[in-house]
Amino acid sequence: MRPELERLQLIEQHLLNGPAALPAGDWNLRLLLDGELAADTATQQRLYQGLRRAGRQQLRQELRSIHARLYRGRWAWLRRLWSM
Amino acid sequence: MTASPHLLPATALRDALLANREQALTRLYRRAFPAVRRYVRGHGGSAEDAQDVFQDALVILYEQATGGRLVLTASASTYLVSICRNRWQHELRRRARLPQDALPDDPEQLNAETPDASEEAGPAVLDYVERLGAKCKSILLAFYYFQQPLTQIAADHDYRSVRSATVQKFKCLERLRNSVRRAFHAETIDS
Repeated sequence: MRPELERLQLIEQHLLNGPAALPAGDWNLRLLLDGELAADTATQQRLYQGLRRAGRQQLRQELRSIHARLYRGRWAWLRRLWSM
Repeated sequence: MTASPHLLPATALRDALLANREQALTRLYRRAFPAVRRYVRGHGGSAEDAQDVFQDALVILYEQATGGRLVLTASASTYLVSICRNRWQHELRRRARLPQDALPDDPEQLNAETPDASEEAGPAVLDYVERLGAKCKSILLAFYYFQQPLTQIAADHDYRSVRSATVQKFKCLERLRNSVRRAFHAETIDS
């Protein structure tokens, strides 16, 4: 992977507590040596929050579709009867 | 033949949701929603209220199950009905205090947590997620929200290896970050 992608992976492992996350001491040392690491980490955290919201939106849309298929379709009355 | 998800323990439910989300959610929906609708309509709510409460509960169940935080002491259907009863009782008390308000549409209000300052920036990032290409959006949501393993993501998106799918995931994340950064810099310059 390109170094820029490796850096995203390094931050991800730290934020998501992945198996390849740096030990706390090593991470703190990196923060001292890399002046942009803290800001990049904060940005990446915001990305994950945005993705969580987007995922919830998509799941809600999928659930609305399931509801429509089960209860508003041509045979909905039969499915309702079956599920009682 | 797969077992019905409403009877499964938490780990098997998680596997069923990850293997075929639509099928597992449809089975749960068919099994549990009628009881929730009866309960909500019998306690002062409408069919739409029942739908909102039930879908909130399914989102909660999905996140707990795929996040490995779900402990089931009864069937998934019983658990869902229990969440819905609690949420509907909570909603009734809230409406008694604020009678003009209906259930919130905002899924962030699913959890009674106060969003921190960084989460207030969520809608801006959300806009840029929507502007990603369909493939990037699908890969990022599959991994970061739906918690699908990279082996499954690689197969679903026609990548030959997990390694290729991993690289693509980070390229998509980089694209999202760059869009957000550009917007942030533009806002900073304009203000």
